[in-house]
Amino acid sequence: MLGKLDWSAIPFDQPIPLIAGAVVLIAILAVLIWVVAKGHLPYLWHEWITSVDHKRIGVMYILLASVMLLRGGSDAIMMRIQQAVAYQSQGYLPPEHYNQIFSAHGTIMIFFVAMPFVIGLMNLVVPLQLGVRDVAFPTLNSVGFWLTATGALLVNLSLVIGEFARTGWLAFPPLSELSYSPGVGVDYYAWSLQISGVGTLVAGINLVTTVLKLRTKGMNYLRMPMFCWTTLASNLLIVAAFPILTATLAMLLLDRYLGFHFFTNEAGGNVMMFMNLIWAWGHPEVYILVLPAFGIFSEVVSTFSGKALFGYRSMVLATMAICVVSFMVWLHHFFTMGAGPDVNAIFGIASMIIAIPTGVKIYNWLFTMYGGRIRFETPMLWSVGFMVTFIVGGLTGVLLAVPPADFMLHNSMFLVAHFHNVIIGGVLFGAFAGFEYWFPKAFGFRLDERWGKAGFWFTFFGFFITFVPLYIAGMLGMTRRMQHYDVAAWRPWMIVAAVGMAVLTIGVICQIVQLVVSIRNREALRDRTGDPWDGRSLEWATSSPPPVFNFAFNPDVRGEDAYWDIKASAKQQSVDADRPEYQDIEMPRNSPTGFVCAFFATLMGFALIWHIWWMVILGGLGAWATFVVFAWRDHDEYVIPAEEVAAIDRVNVEERRGLVSMAGTV
Amino acid sequence: MTMTATAGHAHADPHHIGVVIEHPGPAPKRIVTAYGFWIFLLSDIVMFSCFFAAYAVLVGQTADGPKGSEIFEQGNVAIETVCLLLSSFTCGMASIAADVRNRFWFYLGMAVTCVLGLIFLVLEFREFADLIVRGYGPSRSAFLTAFFSLVGCHGLHVSAGVLWLLTMTAQVFAKGFRADILRRMMCFALFWHALDIIWVAVFSVVYLLGSGT
Amino acid sequence: MSDQTHMPAGHDLAPGDEEQHSVGARILGYVVGLVLALLLTATSFFIAGTDLVWQPSIPVALIVLAIAQMGVHLVFFLHITTGPDNTNNVLALAFGLLVVFLVVGGSVWIMAHLNANMPPMDQIMMRQ
Repeated sequence: MLGKLDWSAIPFDQPIPLIAGAVVLIAILAVLIWVVAKGHLPYLWHEWITSVDHKRIGVMYILLASVMLLRGGSDAIMMRIQQAVAYQSQGYLPPEHYNQIFSAHGTIMIFFVAMPFVIGLMNLVVPLQLGVRDVAFPTLNSVGFWLTATGALLVNLSLVIGEFARTGWLAFPPLSELSYSPGVGVDYYAWSLQISGVGTLVAGINLVTTVLKLRTKGMNYLRMPMFCWTTLASNLLIVAAFPILTATLAMLLLDRYLGFHFFTNEAGGNVMMFMNLIWAWGHPEVYILVLPAFGIFSEVVSTFSGKALFGYRSMVLATMAICVVSFMVWLHHFFTMGAGPDVNAIFGIASMIIAIPTGVKIYNWLFTMYGGRIRFETPMLWSVGFMVTFIVGGLTGVLLAVPPADFMLHNSMFLVAHFHNVIIGGVLFGAFAGFEYWFPKAFGFRLDERWGKAGFWFTFFGFFITFVPLYIAGMLGMTRRMQHYDVAAWRPWMIVAAVGMAVLTIGVICQIVQLVVSIRNREALRDRTGDPWDGRSLEWATSSPPPVFNFAFNPDVRGEDAYWDIKASAKQQSVDADRPEYQDIEMPRNSPTGFVCAFFATLMGFALIWHIWWMVILGGLGAWATFVVFAWRDHDEYVIPAEEVAAIDRVNVEERRGLVSMAGTV
Repeated sequence: MTMTATAGHAHADPHHIGVVIEHPGPAPKRIVTAYGFWIFLLSDIVMFSCFFAAYAVLVGQTADGPKGSEIFEQGNVAIETVCLLLSSFTCGMASIAADVRNRFWFYLGMAVTCVLGLIFLVLEFREFADLIVRGYGPSRSAFLTAFFSLVGCHGLHVSAGVLWLLTMTAQVFAKGFRADILRRMMCFALFWHALDIIWVAVFSVVYLLGSGT
Repeated sequence: MSDQTHMPAGHDLAPGDEEQHSVGARILGYVVGLVLALLLTATSFFIAGTDLVWQPSIPVALIVLAIAQMGVHLVFFLHITTGPDNTNNVLALAFGLLVVFLVVGGSVWIMAHLNANMPPMDQIMMRQ
């Protein structure tokens, strides 16, 4: 009846996950009770859960990423403490638990923090920057988000029901095959990634189509803001790379569930084929994450330097070059596999080549800052911090791209330090910069600068205090994923790294405090003009938060830096000299399709993990029925009457007129 | 405000490369939907390419089990191929009928497409069942693993296509040729034709090349 | 969203859509495609089974025929052409094909080198 599921799945003998799970459960219940008691449930259901508004979905993505950041961060803290104390001792985490923690940390940070964070920002901003009212497929957008949430839910469920994978974040066979990992851990891993992978693919298709097919009048390709370009490149990579992940995990699952022999040691299976395929996805994946961050830095640097982006066209070219070349370097993740000098040399050279367009970008940002009037507000701090940090990470990456050097450093702590250096220094700093930069746009008030800056400095220094020791430990020969060790020389560096982790944690706490303080002071921080940073692209041309239809009129773009253009010409004329007549606007109706579909996907995923076959069929039928019901509906749009549009828009125009006349006096 | 300092930079297309054709604005829904689906199809083809890659790598790993030439039946494959080809044609006819709102030809085209798809599935199922009964199931060797997964993945797509076809025909029956249903019909046609293209690769690479020595 | 769709027709074409044609011309297109595809398929099956041609050329011929048939399907069934209204569709296709080529070609190349340098366990044992 319940497949492999019984009471032994609950880890009663392990206090840490049980207590953590209980705390989370109580917190969720408390929030739920509060929501119901306060009568917020209808609001939550109508305005958020069933919303197909790209801005709302973007915010929910970022919320999911932030919550999961805390979960992944707790894992990181536990690991750093373990390695600080586990010198010639077992530390406080038993091996099987420690292995689950590092696997969960990697999986969560990549798939459920970095991915939803950048997808959330792209969702929130790109339609606004393109001057359109929504993404190409609003309902699918909601489906994509909720499937991602399903994946995150399943990963967290493994904390209290069963176990998570002990195989590292990519579940290499043969360790991840049934004979060596008979538990449900790898199944949790694989099914949650399969489900959230579908969500990511949907988001990718959606955003590619949005950028290529939905741009406002006059928004030629070479007038798009840089963030739209990097969004296009990143989502093209999603569309091309995520199917590889899906196929690879499907093969692993077939091995585990039906006794196939893709990656087994018996019957001619080839373990190395898994490395090959998973990294054919895995390397584009890092560019999927970092390209949007590059776009965010481009926007931030240009805005806070008060200058147009230097070398816009070279930036576009560099972005698209990275998009293509990122598919030609995957073997550098397994130089040591033994494909031989020819193969290694070619992939080593390709890996060094991809550093060139990245270098072009760094110079472009520096030249954008050169001669500008730079304002060091929080988003700009994250951007400058990124440039410093990312260059270090990039250089150690070029070092690792040299095959002989890689043979020495493969799977060492040096590697761990390198990829944290580029992912924290690149993606996370970018996500934070974008968060600070676009928060006023999403919510209508700014974030507190003092706490934000404190958060930056603690994170920045905390990062270096944590990861420089790891570089050194790697040089001293320490390999990754060690539950305990006996080498005295590594010990001091592990302690320093643990101290760094504490500093990093203070940085994160500062950012949480910043959020709380800002919400309490929101009246003082209110952004009435919709343009708090003196921005250059179209998202600043509408109010904060934007109305559901984004723009009362589709903007007509005549050059790069579209909004800057409008502001410049508006100072000479009156701000709304030729405001055309307001018209009715049709918007897509909200739909519970995404939420219901994710509910069935959760059922199905859970049932697959525990071999509860009747529930699998139930979940599958439910998901299909959900789509049929959705396809059957007669009205998928509703009309916002012209008077309402006019009323909303006029308020914004008044505020904006104030801004322009103020600017004229400077 | 730094607006005055650099406002001069904000002019249209500073590079003046040739004549700039103004982008006319967002595309109509039909194009947006079909393009999105086109992107999905490309991603699906990339997924198939992984199974093709696995097949190419594992084809020699028979673990003393049968080789391709010992188990493939050309006649069966030829019938399957003709079924899919004809169904691609009838699917095209159905989409023309949908465009000119001709219910009779639409239903006929879809019905024939469905029947041909089902014949294909039955033939494939029989081939698989026969192999498994003979002890040549996917667990026998890495070669058979790759073969069953690649061909089976295509078969799953065809099954999903048949389910989609039935759902959509029912929808036309209930709602008529509405704009959104016509867009779905267009996506379905793209899907069905793409499956046929993948089948061309399957029968060429797996069955015909695999039958040789 | 439909109020945003005030675009002149003909500038852009959905994948799968044709230029304006009469029903007869469209049917004819499918018929031509079907005939060509059937011919190519028949040739493939014939070549694979025959010993009339030089044997080593068969794999190459099969691959060429398969690519030709995929081209026929793309042009006559999916209506992907080189016209200016199809640029985006063709570019997306080209990117997809590039990735397919890299994944399949790269995997085969890498794994062939790997197997040559580090043969699987059973082959080592067979050599001994």
